[in-house]
Amino acid sequence: MTATLFDGIVQGLQLSLLAVGITLIFGLGGVLNLAHGQFAVIGGVAAKLLLNWGVHPVLAGIGGIIAAGLFGLLVDRSLLVPAYRYRGEERLLLGLILTLGLSFVIDGYLNYALPEFSLMLSLPIPAVQVATIPMRTAGLATSLIAMMVFLALFLFLRRTLLGKTIRSIIENEIGAELCGIDPSRTRTIIVGLAAMMAGLAGIAQGLFSSLGTEMGPEFTILGLLVAVVGGVRSINGTLVAGVFLGIINAFASRYVGAYVAFIILLSVAMVTILLRPTGLLARFT
Amino acid sequence: MVVRVEDIHVSYGPAVVLRGVSLEARVGEAVAVIGPNGAGKTTLLRTMIGMTRPTRGCILYDGKVRNGLRAFETARLGIIYVPAEKELFPGMTVLENLELGSYCNVEDAPGRLGYVFDLFPRLGERRQQLAGTLSGGEQQMVAIGRALMGGPKVLLLDEPSTGLAPKMVAELYQQLAKLKSTGLTLIVAEQQVPLVLSLTDRAYVLEQGAIRLSGKSADIQGNPEIKVAYLG
Repeated sequence: MTATLFDGIVQGLQLSLLAVGITLIFGLGGVLNLAHGQFAVIGGVAAKLLLNWGVHPVLAGIGGIIAAGLFGLLVDRSLLVPAYRYRGEERLLLGLILTLGLSFVIDGYLNYALPEFSLMLSLPIPAVQVATIPMRTAGLATSLIAMMVFLALFLFLRRTLLGKTIRSIIENEIGAELCGIDPSRTRTIIVGLAAMMAGLAGIAQGLFSSLGTEMGPEFTILGLLVAVVGGVRSINGTLVAGVFLGIINAFASRYVGAYVAFIILLSVAMVTILLRPTGLLARFT
Repeated sequence: MVVRVEDIHVSYGPAVVLRGVSLEARVGEAVAVIGPNGAGKTTLLRTMIGMTRPTRGCILYDGKVRNGLRAFETARLGIIYVPAEKELFPGMTVLENLELGSYCNVEDAPGRLGYVFDLFPRLGERRQQLAGTLSGGEQQMVAIGRALMGGPKVLLLDEPSTGLAPKMVAELYQQLAKLKSTGLTLIVAEQQVPLVLSLTDRAYVLEQGAIRLSGKSADIQGNPEIKVAYLG
């Protein structure tokens, strides 16, 4: 029971890492990134390639995160440029189609180029006892890293001028422009940052169990669910929703099976949207 | 900074909104743009700062043609727009809203903040309140305050009195008169014709996308046609 709860929290934090990126890109860029799960896979693949070259695992992990970030920057500055020419619904639709296409291309290429791929990282000490409860160090480590990332992100958004600039664009892009803020530059920074968090989530998957090249769509769907339940413009909401859905998923997977768990997650998302259309922690309803 | 537009034409699809409008605001001058709803006042201001693209005509700052600049670029030049919709950041505090106004010159922010709080003491009292929870009048103060934080050379105000109680409108215009006395160039589009004419030096009357009349505000106030149409 406690182990399942713990697994749920760990998985939930990992989902939050993915979903926060989706939330930031949507809030700031008006694009719902359907290739976000693939960003996570690219981070994992890059880490694995570095490992194969004999790079130290920690450095390989950092390298994987950076690679995902660079890929995000590339996508923002090339593929998404046509979408950014439009505003509102047109941008959203064009962004959906472009990123969906990108996700197919990445999936197709990776499955073709690396058919046997799997990233599995193991820590030197596999498990520890915390107050008589055995816990896997991989889970503890990924949770700790995720929480540190969220704390850093929170402080960045609250305290720094760039962070406030990012929040201002999420709140009101026109208002930000009237203050002399260039939304496109800030957007590029945030897409890179979101892709790095996705890369971290991919590597965390390898640490916790294993990461395969086919997992992109599943990551995207789970990330989207969390983002929607949390409210697609609320970062705090996304964090809470990730842990909430992670726990539900862990219990459902354990007691009724993975396939039904997915249906349960979708039902939870549906009920949340019906009851609180702007998300769990929405300020303005 | 002298802001001038020459022979501006703007269309939204098949609808022609501005047909050959020319307007100038010299340094330290306060200029009114008056006219009925739908005359094109907002479009004219939006075109002057680069939010709307003209199909024909020139936008000049200090005599140089600067067509094609985007709104954030004109804001950085010191030509700052306060739209009727205010476009605040509702989920951020008053202080954060004002801080973002000085995004492009952070060094001067502390001094400007003091100036804005002197001008609108109520904002000082409510600095930690979320902007979205303020009254309409207070939100207008934040919008103007945020624009002042950017150190404007020219301030463009669109319908600053809209949605405000009469007492608030009077108060607001007192503050605008104060701003004018500091030598700030003002361009004000407004429905409150007598008020805006008493604030400004010159006025343009816009009707159906064209300038119908322009001249000294005092003369326009005395013009019998304007009296019938706008002053009742």
